[in-house]
Amino acid sequence: MEMNQYLSIFIDEANEHLQSLNENMLRLEQQPEDISIVQIIFRSAHTLKGMSASMGFEDLASLTHEMENVLDLVRNDKLKMNGHIFDTLFKCLDSLEGMVQDVVGGGTGSADVKELVSQLKQIVKGEPAAPASAGQAAIASGSSELAMVATHLLLDQYQLSVLRQSIENGSPAFHIEVTIREDCLLKGVRAYMVFDALERNGELVKSHPSVQDIEQEQFGHQFSVYYISRIPQQELQDTLDKISELESVSVVPLDLESLSELDESRSAEQQMQEAAQQAAATATATSPAAAAADKPASSEAPARAPAAAPVANKTIRVDIERLDSLMNLFSELLIDRVRLEQLASEVRRNDLTETVEHMARVSSDLQNIVLKLRMVPVDSVFNRFPRMVRDLAKSLGKKLDLVITGAETELDRTVIDEIGDPLVHLIRNSVDHGVETIEGRREAGKPETGVVNLRAFHSGNHVFIEIEDDGRGINQPKVLDIAVKKGIVSPDEAKKLSDDEINMLLFAPGFSTADKISDISGRGVGLDVVRSKIESLGGVVSVTSKAGQGSKWSIQLPLTLSIITAMLVKLGSEKFAIPLSSIVETGIVQRSAIRDLHGAKVIEYRKSIIPVLSLAAVLDSPDYSEENEQETEMLVIRKGEKLAAVLVDELIGQSEIVLKTLGKYLTNLDVISGATILGDGQVALIVDPNALIK
Amino acid sequence: MAEDFKVIVFTLAHEEYGIEVDKVRTIERMTPVTRVPKTPVFVKGVINLRGVVVPVIDLRSRFGLPESEPTENSRIIIVAANELEVGFIVDSANDVIDLNTDMVENPPEVVGGIKAKYLSGVAKFGENRLLILLNLSEVLNRSEIIQLEQFGA
Repeated sequence: MEMNQYLSIFIDEANEHLQSLNENMLRLEQQPEDISIVQIIFRSAHTLKGMSASMGFEDLASLTHEMENVLDLVRNDKLKMNGHIFDTLFKCLDSLEGMVQDVVGGGTGSADVKELVSQLKQIVKGEPAAPASAGQAAIASGSSELAMVATHLLLDQYQLSVLRQSIENGSPAFHIEVTIREDCLLKGVRAYMVFDALERNGELVKSHPSVQDIEQEQFGHQFSVYYISRIPQQELQDTLDKISELESVSVVPLDLESLSELDESRSAEQQMQEAAQQAAATATATSPAAAAADKPASSEAPARAPAAAPVANKTIRVDIERLDSLMNLFSELLIDRVRLEQLASEVRRNDLTETVEHMARVSSDLQNIVLKLRMVPVDSVFNRFPRMVRDLAKSLGKKLDLVITGAETELDRTVIDEIGDPLVHLIRNSVDHGVETIEGRREAGKPETGVVNLRAFHSGNHVFIEIEDDGRGINQPKVLDIAVKKGIVSPDEAKKLSDDEINMLLFAPGFSTADKISDISGRGVGLDVVRSKIESLGGVVSVTSKAGQGSKWSIQLPLTLSIITAMLVKLGSEKFAIPLSSIVETGIVQRSAIRDLHGAKVIEYRKSIIPVLSLAAVLDSPDYSEENEQETEMLVIRKGEKLAAVLVDELIGQSEIVLKTLGKYLTNLDVISGATILGDGQVALIVDPNALIK
Repeated sequence: MAEDFKVIVFTLAHEEYGIEVDKVRTIERMTPVTRVPKTPVFVKGVINLRGVVVPVIDLRSRFGLPESEPTENSRIIIVAANELEVGFIVDSANDVIDLNTDMVENPPEVVGGIKAKYLSGVAKFGENRLLILLNLSEVLNRSEIIQLEQFGA
């Protein structure tokens, strides 16, 4: 059977479900009482099981099956989550992830899951495991109509009190039973119309089956709701009668009396259930109500749950190469647009000008969309960190909260792909070296639980990612000590370094300050790799720290790698682009202000002496030289702390340019970092300012 | 077993040359070329080929022939080989012909002033016409450029 075409879909979806499992397990760990989270986890596990089984990955399927069994008990309140169960389930997720990775690598996705399966089975056995449905069904048979309703529409204490209060306040409460005609094709839609009408006129307290199941057409032809109405019974009945294809709508008013009956039947139900459990009632219930009771778990979910369920975005997956060629074609179009605009202004025909103007507007909208296509929220990188921090904290015996903000911040896809590893490294570093142990924190008078903040935000043309911990901060004397010992700086230099410069020593190759080497970080390789990775993305990394209060790692990244803002300059007949990010200032310098200092040309700039470079000389300009000019335009550029003045013929102005490579044939070009295509279709080269300052 | 193949015919200093048709992407008229500093003389610069920046080299200068001003007939042949995409400036390009491997002979030491290592053979066709076939991977060999770069520096 040809499975390959499905395999990539399977892998993508499996990864998504694993991610969602991980996230929701973490959420559940925070709020173990929230059954709606268990529902989500259960659904993900269930889907994963189905997918794996249909693709023939038996081990994946059997492990998810056992997980499902445990989760089923939890969501039916038969089992309370505890640390042991969490740990086992997390181990299962790891194992699942390993198997999916194996499938990605072309393997069969098999792994030894026996131990985990038996652990899960023990968890299932460890609690009374009488099936709930049997107990409920047994009671349901032969009861009066209301009692039967009660069995599958059990209200919990909260819902009862909501109903009771509203009746006491004078708003009518109803039990509504809707039957949809058998021949109705889109019963989900009809049901939705009912809910829509109800929600407009009041408040749903409880529905059976759950709203979600109903919307997905997972119900027979009947459903019932408890409802607090803002309109009188007759009006409600009329509204619902207007919806076509409904067999019957019965609206039964509730009063305090019937509510207390419900309450009693609830406790009776509980007693019966307990009795049933003790007697280990058989699971095969054949009572008439069995059909209605087959989804008791769903009905346990409060009616509010659907609102909290995340709305899945409708997306398609596109090969990034296609996006690149779309970009290329689009920049072609831009060039033609500029040419058209030029022609239209020469021809001076109104209808032509109007058409060209309209095209210009459409194409600038198109430009925005095309550029946004490549942007991905950083969430896709951040989402694996909560789990990582949890595991790290557990293995180190620390208490830690990871607070993520700005996960919706968008970055170019190419940057996203590369930024993951550096971030992992920095976070591990913060968790391992930054945050103290529980005892350490107590001694320092801090709360036992450390906090690591992971923030992403936009600022100008950059995206900042910050990792801030409230740990012990950087031990500067120790950093200096090690730097001198390892020969990174000489003892004399060390004395002159500022605090920030000392911090930056951490990024020097071959540096490690950890007293003992742990398997998490501190192998001496790392921060220098982090820095070179980030710099290769056109970014900057820095760190600030306060002893005893924590440290903050800050990464500044360009919004996109494919488009930058640049200053266009002219040298005679040639045009060049210089990235705006490294330009400090532009100005005019008088020939007389340029002085010779030991054979090098310098000028005074804001009370300091900076070197002067002739761009024409660096680029061997064939038809321009500033030698015979009295005053020359200059750009002040910066590389780190160093400044330099670059002399040019003329400043054209700043512009957004699309970065292009020069191809593989021309490499090692030193001062030229790439090319771009200007509005007139000409290629302009991009000057690398970092190469100008030596 | 002799095989048929097609070549694009172009001229350089009155000699006819051929490149296999499957190595040729497109043939373009002369467009403005942007000079790239710090490159060997035969690298004329880069052009905008429908949104892609492609380097062009002057084949005359690459083979050590005297350079000439571009004319109406000058063409840029975009070739792709060794995972590189490069444009060749030639005097003219105007024909596609069918050749058979039987018609191709090993090149003599020097043809029209061009070293044999840049050539893959010489084909006789038509009435006494000689077609010089280029060895593209050698023409595009970067190691020579790197040597030149080092020499220049």
